[in-house]
Amino acid sequence: MPSIPLHPRSDRGTQNGAADPAHNPLPQLLQTPSGLALLELQGTINVPTSETESDDIHGSLAQPATYETPIGKLMFPDYSVHNPDDSQWMKRVYLYIGRYQRMTGEVKKLPRPIAVLRKRCDNEIESAGSEELEVVEIVRYKVFFKNRPEPVNDV
Amino acid sequence: MATQASQSILFTNTQPQQGFRLLELTPELEELLSSKDAPRLQIKSPSLALARAVLDPSALEYVNLCTPTRTYRIRQVQSSNSLHILQPSLGRISKEDIKVVGGSDGANEESLNLVDGTVAAIAKCGSTLELHTPQDGFSAVPFLEKSLALFDRRVGDGDRDLDVDMLGDESGDADATVLRERVFADVPVSSGQCEAGWMEICAFADERRRHCWRPSARMRLGIWKRVVEGATLQGIDLNKQFLVRDLWKSVLDDDDDDESEDDGVNALFPRALFEAVVRRVSVVEERPPLSAELKWASLDKIECARWVGETYLAATAPTPTAAIGRSEFINAWRDCLPEAWREEVALSKLPVGSYQNPDPTTIYYVEPSQRLQASKGSASAPAAAATVKSTRNWHELLKNPKRR
Repeated sequence: MPSIPLHPRSDRGTQNGAADPAHNPLPQLLQTPSGLALLELQGTINVPTSETESDDIHGSLAQPATYETPIGKLMFPDYSVHNPDDSQWMKRVYLYIGRYQRMTGEVKKLPRPIAVLRKRCDNEIESAGSEELEVVEIVRYKVFFKNRPEPVNDV
Repeated sequence: MATQASQSILFTNTQPQQGFRLLELTPELEELLSSKDAPRLQIKSPSLALARAVLDPSALEYVNLCTPTRTYRIRQVQSSNSLHILQPSLGRISKEDIKVVGGSDGANEESLNLVDGTVAAIAKCGSTLELHTPQDGFSAVPFLEKSLALFDRRVGDGDRDLDVDMLGDESGDADATVLRERVFADVPVSSGQCEAGWMEICAFADERRRHCWRPSARMRLGIWKRVVEGATLQGIDLNKQFLVRDLWKSVLDDDDDDESEDDGVNALFPRALFEAVVRRVSVVEERPPLSAELKWASLDKIECARWVGETYLAATAPTPTAAIGRSEFINAWRDCLPEAWREEVALSKLPVGSYQNPDPTTIYYVEPSQRLQASKGSASAPAAAATVKSTRNWHELLKNPKRR
């Protein structure tokens, strides 16, 4: 069996070009060079149109028309850009699902950092036979919602 | 309200989702991957034939992650929680859509405008990949032993037939490095461990036959004897640094004085094999990597004596039925070493578990693969009990009573 190379993270950023920190609305602690961040929650987010489960690495790379469905809002109520050293804000994060449900969570340091891997796809010619993986990002924090949503009034 | 004033980020979900895997890193791997010139890693699994040949009860199908020097077994861990991968999005979302999550009345329109940006969930992972290192670690030796053909012939017989079960394929490059890499590709451990295993068993690449071999114990012992003879004749002190070329010459001179030098001994054994043996017994810290030429060497007296004893036993008494007399073995072992090293000979110097005594006067060799089983099996139950007593590991403490 051929061995599959796993390339270390390169400085190219992601293809979507969203790595620009100016566009990253997350608190600085959660920002990574590629812009990727992790959010963990109990259960799943059910999106009406989701018929494809892209859990596997062979997921869609062709990227047809992608569209975004708004789910809710993410809030870091105690975070202040002016006081980035204070880590108290990490204790409280809200995720609104729609308008009337809210989950309360926190920002947690991962016990072990997680590398985000994906199939490398920059040279199409080669990809026919050989598979190559690359580390897109190393993530050290996650936004974690361990509680179930609670009903709230409209914000 | 306090929350009203704080940042609120629009959270969306993209369709279709992208394919990602999450890999939990060990501290060493994190350091390695975060470094400026991070090396390329490899995900290796054994070829099907090799996986079957090397009995590994722990896992029939597995995938290993290899850094240049280390190996980790990858295990997929499912989680009931879902991990979403977020990415900042430029948020090209119509106002109509945002209304679903934001306010719709005039008063709340304000808060809607407070949206500071958008993050999109671009992938969902229901599992992560975790890395494990088995207690025994990883070794390339069992895989190399199965994938390399045995090189065996009675040294000195002039018998030119090779006892081979396979002939090299004629196609392709004959460069030793290329030959070796081809073998390593199927061995599911890091290249550093592949090299270590390769040196351990004195494997060598035969550029002329375009094939890689592992010499039999008899072969290795034969070469070692020639080395000692040659070194003694030429006055080379193996304990000090010497030119490997000189030693090779002394080995040649010893036997084939009048014949054309290279051919005479080359037919007996290739130089690559000679170098593999010298490399095996030379001081570990001074060993050059396999890709570099072995120019200078000095031998490690203790390690070398141990290796010679083990090899001698493997060559002469490989099975319980072939057991030899213990004193006979000690004497022969002593004879295989240079004069000055003979005090290194003692049964206690042999590797643990490498021999068995069927009765008080005889001894035979135990293959490394058998050693592991023996130490795990019931034969060494008293020893196991002893280790349990000294260990504080509760796994061990709980495991043992069940066995009895």
